Amino acid sequence: MAILSEDKPQRRLKGTSLDDTDRRIVDVLMRDGRAQSTTIGEELGLSGNLVSNRIRAMDAAGLMRVVAVADHRIHGYRLVARIRLQVTGRPPIDVAHQLAQREEVLSVHITSGRYPVSCLYAFRNAREMLEAVRQATADIPGVDDVDVELINNVYRYVPTVGPLGT
Amino acid sequence: MDTPEFPTTDQLDRDIAVMLAQDARLSFRKIATDLGVTEGTVRGRVKRLQSAGLLKLVPILDIDRTRDSSGTPGEIGQHMMFITVKCANGKLDSVREGLLAMPQVSALYDANAAPRLVAVCILPSLEDAAAVMNRVVALDGVREADSELVLQSIKYNAAIAPIATVADLQSSLGDTAPA
Repeated sequence: MAILSEDKPQRRLKGTSLDDTDRRIVDVLMRDGRAQSTTIGEELGLSGNLVSNRIRAMDAAGLMRVVAVADHRIHGYRLVARIRLQVTGRPPIDVAHQLAQREEVLSVHITSGRYPVSCLYAFRNAREMLEAVRQATADIPGVDDVDVELINNVYRYVPTVGPLGT
Repeated sequence: MDTPEFPTTDQLDRDIAVMLAQDARLSFRKIATDLGVTEGTVRGRVKRLQSAGLLKLVPILDIDRTRDSSGTPGEIGQHMMFITVKCANGKLDSVREGLLAMPQVSALYDANAAPRLVAVCILPSLEDAAAVMNRVVALDGVREADSELVLQSIKYNAAIAPIATVADLQSSLGDTAPA
């Protein structure tokens, strides 16, 4: 069995980036996000305590989070659409914040494209979707065009990086 | 391509997903106690959801802070870019395979508004954005490809997304509903 190393003081600004030990721990978590700290430690030659402290520290600093991503259909949403909005006479970010308040809006980004506000929007049924699209144009000031793309099939979903700071 | 049927899930699956969304490393014993079922039931449900591709328990790194401490870009990306690809008739499948061959593509969907594919890319640098787009427009069957760089993320719900792939759904077709 590997020698257990202690967590030596690092010359890094705590919580600003991942060091090599952190990255090795994350690599193991990529195979199994629920791997026990002691198991990870045994594999990497680290103590279980160190591993669990590192995971907690990365999480607390917002650098890494082990997430449980569930398909929308588990939550009773039958449809997900990418909805993009064109905005005039108002900062797009204001529209983005307004959309973000809705529980069914899963993500909202400001992008460089023709439609500066891009979101993923989940719906329980088609009626909800039509209503949301109607509302977006009628009730959100500044929205003058809405592009709706209903997501049909998923071919890949490999989340490794995301805007955790939002 | 026809969308395969979605496997049956129930309220218990949803409750487990909600608890794991709070803390993906929460002990199955704690979940079982809170939901009034056995630990074995929780373990079995999680395993079934994972193998059906309906639940993923994975680490996500913050996109803004994924550079190595040395300051050189790491293997993991810094920028998110959406690519919307309009395909020529009958070319959706070959364009899709072309996009799946690209490691920068972290998510790929088709939208039934048109023969259209939507790819989410994670890129180490902005130079990679141009390189990726050059590769995409060169794929046989691409009629039009638009890129949108994410400038700012306002909301990101890491717990719910369209994640079950066609391959996942096809392989879980034979499964029976939970007892």
